[in-house]
Amino acid sequence: MNRSFSWKTVILLSALAIFMIFYPKIVDSYFLHLTVATFLAMIMASSWDILARTGQVSVGQAGLFGVGAYTAALLYQRVHIPPVLGMLAGAILATVVAFFLGYLTLRLRGIYFAITTIAFAEALSVIWLMTPRITGGAMGVSTPPLFNGNREQAYYLILIILALVIFVVWLIESSRLNFAFTAIRENEEVANVMGINPTRYKVLAFLISAFFTGFAGGFYSHYNTYIIPYEVFGLGISIACLVMPIFGGLYTIAGPIIGTILIKAIEEYLRVTFSYGHQIAYGLILVVVVLFMPEGLLGLWKRKIFPLFKQPHRV
Amino acid sequence: MTLLRVKDLSKHFGGLTAVQNVSFEIHRGEIVSLIGPNGAGKTTIFNLISGVYTPDSGGILLDNEDLVGRRPFEVCQKGIGRTFQIMQPFPHMTVLENVMTSGLFGRVPKISMRQAEEETKELCQLVGLGDKQKAFPKNLTVADQKRIEIARALAIKPKLLLLDEVMSGLTPTETGEAIKLVRRLRENGTTIFLIEHVMKVVMGISDRVIVLHHGEKIAEGTSTEVANDPKVIKAYLGEKVEESEK
Amino acid sequence: MDWPSFFQSIANGILIAGLYAAVTLGLTLVLGVMGIVNFAHGEMVMLGAYSTFWLFSLLGIDPMLSIAMSGLILFFIGLPIYRFTIRPILKDPPLNQLLLTLGISIFLQNMAMMLWKTDSRSVITSYSGMSLHLEMVHIGLTRLITFMISVVLTVLLVFFLYKARLGRAMRAVSENNTASWLIGINVQKTYLLAFGVASGLAGASGALVSTIMYTFPMVGFKLSLKAFCILILGGLGNISGALFGSLILGLTESFVGTYVPEGSGWAEGISFILIMIILIIKPTGLAGTRRE
Repeated sequence: MNRSFSWKTVILLSALAIFMIFYPKIVDSYFLHLTVATFLAMIMASSWDILARTGQVSVGQAGLFGVGAYTAALLYQRVHIPPVLGMLAGAILATVVAFFLGYLTLRLRGIYFAITTIAFAEALSVIWLMTPRITGGAMGVSTPPLFNGNREQAYYLILIILALVIFVVWLIESSRLNFAFTAIRENEEVANVMGINPTRYKVLAFLISAFFTGFAGGFYSHYNTYIIPYEVFGLGISIACLVMPIFGGLYTIAGPIIGTILIKAIEEYLRVTFSYGHQIAYGLILVVVVLFMPEGLLGLWKRKIFPLFKQPHRV
Repeated sequence: MTLLRVKDLSKHFGGLTAVQNVSFEIHRGEIVSLIGPNGAGKTTIFNLISGVYTPDSGGILLDNEDLVGRRPFEVCQKGIGRTFQIMQPFPHMTVLENVMTSGLFGRVPKISMRQAEEETKELCQLVGLGDKQKAFPKNLTVADQKRIEIARALAIKPKLLLLDEVMSGLTPTETGEAIKLVRRLRENGTTIFLIEHVMKVVMGISDRVIVLHHGEKIAEGTSTEVANDPKVIKAYLGEKVEESEK
Repeated sequence: MDWPSFFQSIANGILIAGLYAAVTLGLTLVLGVMGIVNFAHGEMVMLGAYSTFWLFSLLGIDPMLSIAMSGLILFFIGLPIYRFTIRPILKDPPLNQLLLTLGISIFLQNMAMMLWKTDSRSVITSYSGMSLHLEMVHIGLTRLITFMISVVLTVLLVFFLYKARLGRAMRAVSENNTASWLIGINVQKTYLLAFGVASGLAGASGALVSTIMYTFPMVGFKLSLKAFCILILGGLGNISGALFGSLILGLTESFVGTYVPEGSGWAEGISFILIMIILIIKPTGLAGTRRE
């Protein structure tokens, strides 16, 4: 909650930045692809976490992801809009959708909110399937390879967006927004009595979260060159968005990042080993986290592992 | 000078009448107590004033400004701070952060984070939490948690402070400190409206007392007048309410 | 007015409502007795469907007969699930319970995908295509039998809850578990068995599902959403509400299927739209929370 910069942090961040810039030169194409996919997941995980900070646990981020994906893909298909502009359009449209959804779901708590978000994503999926002339229906929509297949450029684009998301989360954490979000999450009624307008901040969180999730969808549609409703509006995406931050540690900057890296690694291993069902790890992790480590990996580190490194004081 | 005017306030929940045609005024600089047997509707009155409930009928005016229909955060920003009977500090924030939250959002015009932090530190000293600012509420005693509640309400620099049973569960020493604090707050210019069960406190610090029973106002006056009012005596004895005198 | 279509829609709606009710019974039981929304309930149904499918494919057991077997299998699967994952979180905030049961749901979905791939399976019996021809309506034989078995299941459950000792214990616990504990009811055991019975019901309804729908790993998820819709429509945690909600959903889907162009596709989305509309208007569902 302070904006002070230590020199250590600046040096570390600069080193990291330099490493990230030269990264594509030192890894092969397969790893670069994995990295892009991981960065994409980090964006979605962090976005979910932003929303969750206000106590709104969404199990339907796929709805916003799909809106972003299809906006970009369909705009390209119809008017050949440059891909990055299409992604931006996707982000904006997802934000508009979230605006309405956010207002409509204001009074919903906990499980009801979650169920509504699931229903929302599934409803969109059905609408997409039933309107093939506008949306391409079950056959999906194709786009040519992003940046003509130049993975490096895709990498830099996603890196910039990821950096932007992290910056936004850092801004939230170091401003009064953090107080508002946390207060609303912990006790909305009391927060209200203390002068916090829950509507304003809950909708704001939704908008920010939707913008980046929508952009991610738009990016995905071009990067993947092909999207279908079953996939981009699918439960798998919504679950991925929430498992990563929960695993890593909620309401932190590092939590979603770490959670994503680990889960993507596990998932990749499972994907090459089994042809189906590699999201089984998601389910297992959710159960394990709730039962044994509700604060995620970061919480585990803070409470159990880090204290082991502290030297006992001699009296 | 009237600060708060409540006129013919009524509130029902389903078939149950919580508050019926209650009217009273609170003047600037007063300390007024709201008493009555359990279930009389006292907290409902607080909830109505602070905007948590909307009245079915009646008016609430703060400095002649209509509060009915305003949402709780708006009422707060108009200058009404309140504590909760069941203490509800934010569990994952430190004491400092809990109080800062009020200061950051309840004050109009908005103040900077730095100023909020400074004011919060002063407030914590004032209520007696000076050395516990970095602690988490769950590790603190009941009395300290009450202090957090009061500090939070004070952080908005309220015109009117609603204290909901802050004295219950305190030791005699703590009660004495709380009374001193309430008096000091009044000296600093805050008008105080409190719900209390501890009669010793009520009699000791109130300028006036309002008595509620079954949702209706049955008496109003100085503490002595009210204590001798036969209606009040009957309400308490008839209900077999234990007076929590410590 | 095309009466035959109208009555056919009603018939179809009622028949499918029976299946939906059977699916929702177990969910209602768990919610009513221990206050938990089991997101994995649909997957228990899915497992019941698969178990019937395999019993049919490998051993030739008729699906209607294997209902009891699938029910039993899921009963015994439900017990350890309760003991090791549900019991620890009984007192946790609802969000934790949501995430846990969601995790079990995802786990089971993917496990099914790993074991049995994503192909849709059908259970086709000798009588699958037969139907009764009444005055103006055709009633599929399989659907009719399914409906009747659903009715039987519901009646059995109600009898159990009101006449059987264990069932009455469950009702007592759902109303007030402190009082129940005080009068000597073993609350933990009651919870355990309630979850088992609910799983068994899921398994049995899964057997029914396999005869009417395709069996595939995600079928549970689809049915879960319908079940949630029914809960929200009918009041959470009581059986009459579940029946009422099932009827509403079944009939709505059926009418949309008949009268809306390309309705059978749109009918799939009815449950989602109903969920959103109802919750947005009344954030605690149509009848609020009534537990039975």
